[in-house]
Amino acid sequence: MAATDIAVIGFAQTPAERRAEGNEVQLLVPTVSAALAMAGLDRREVGFTCAGSCDYLTGGPFAFVQNLEAAGAWPPIEESHVEMDGAWALYEAWVRLQHGDIDTALVFGSGKSSPADPAALWPQQLDPYTLAPLGVDPVSLAALQARSLIHRGLATERDFAEVAVRSRRAALANPHAQVRGEADVEALLAEPYVRDPLRRHDLPPISDGAVAVVLARGDRAQALCARPAWIRGIDHRIEVHQPGMRDLTESPSTTLAAERAGYDGGPLDVAELSAVFSPQEGILRRALALPEGTDANPSGGPLAANPVMATGLVRIAEVAARIIDGRADRGLAHATGGQLLQHNLVCLMEGR
Amino acid sequence: MSDAPKQDLVMAHLVSLRYEEPLSRILDRFVDGLMEGRILGHRCPACRRVYVPAKGYCPLCVVETTEADEVEVADTGVVTGFTIITPVAYYGQEETEPFVYASVLLDGSDANLGGQDIVGIPHDQVRAGLRVRAVWRPPAERSAEGITNRGWGSVGSAIDAFTPTDEPDAPPEQYAEHLF
Repeated sequence: MAATDIAVIGFAQTPAERRAEGNEVQLLVPTVSAALAMAGLDRREVGFTCAGSCDYLTGGPFAFVQNLEAAGAWPPIEESHVEMDGAWALYEAWVRLQHGDIDTALVFGSGKSSPADPAALWPQQLDPYTLAPLGVDPVSLAALQARSLIHRGLATERDFAEVAVRSRRAALANPHAQVRGEADVEALLAEPYVRDPLRRHDLPPISDGAVAVVLARGDRAQALCARPAWIRGIDHRIEVHQPGMRDLTESPSTTLAAERAGYDGGPLDVAELSAVFSPQEGILRRALALPEGTDANPSGGPLAANPVMATGLVRIAEVAARIIDGRADRGLAHATGGQLLQHNLVCLMEGR
Repeated sequence: MSDAPKQDLVMAHLVSLRYEEPLSRILDRFVDGLMEGRILGHRCPACRRVYVPAKGYCPLCVVETTEADEVEVADTGVVTGFTIITPVAYYGQEETEPFVYASVLLDGSDANLGGQDIVGIPHDQVRAGLRVRAVWRPPAERSAEGITNRGWGSVGSAIDAFTPTDEPDAPPEQYAEHLF
């Protein structure tokens, strides 16, 4: 058995919505069922289940336990949870599959950003001595990063707006997207700043949503799926927490994760990047050295839909979708956690 | 380095986060029922178990349930388990005297209502198997307070407590599957 014979064979996601009516588990029940149905797998056959979510978002201690009901935890199942984006749940399942005693796994990620104020909530993930008491919110931090890029001459506000225009246009073809449409760069640049130099279009929407992915190994993957999306490599790397101790214009952990995931700089048909703020797309393109002609964020990316805790796993599902249906042969998915691209995961997938 | 004795730096960091969301349609209907003195749930179309309040799915079958699966259950039931809590003072604890925290399985339901007070009987006589009925608040005093999408709702804003019906105790086999 090789680490490279694990594949995505099923997936499903909810539409991203500004305010979903159901709670997380109610979003997950039909989503998990749809992913298993696509994989042709009964839930009782799943060897391992792993979920990603955030109790701070849900607003209750141990809220993640309830989410497990979407997987059907009776009779008892073997499962785990990460207080991280679902992409890291997939990583854990990928490791677990390599034990060799099971050949299928179910992963999901879910989050509702609508109940709480993200600007009040997210400072709580920062260092509690020097950063959290400042109440510095994700948009302010992203503005610092954008300012660094502009000062270095690496990007302009126009570049940021162009990312948003491409994202919204791409999202026209994505039924799960929340922000889509034709936009004009000049018109966007005429809008006021939310946090100088960021405008509203540089920010992701506030989204509720969930995603589920089914993995299988070797012969089982081939038996269940005509064209599995084989995970050729997956790796994640983290950087120092303090934004002041990093060069915010680059993402060396993304570069390293891509290298360790086996990405050799060769051609990619598709790349889905967790560029949650528009300036981050350029940083990630450089960190990954994406070849010209790579279709980046054909789903619209996080600027079109940002169900936090699912956003990264959605990237993997979007790349897998294009490989499974034959539109792409080779693709790369990127997920991020923490603030300002602190923690990055790269998953390289191929159709053969 | 200074020779001054080292002192720990202590800082207060009080966090307050506010969450707001509308009640889901299922819980909204559940609350409407409580206002009218009715207790509503959903019956799983696959295993026929009844959940009160409804979740919108059966966690055992992982089958979705809808208003079409709605059922009304009785306001009488059986105590399946309990504890007597002797409160100690901590932030947020409003009780000062020992109180009962019981699970009540309503007749017609397969899901316990947790954390129910039992009144009209000395604490040392509360027992599993005890038959009880709801002590409803007057309609004008009922509210949706404390019912949230996270906790799956409760009945505390409409039913103050449960009290013995003075029927014979239910035999253990009647509630053995529902101990909690």
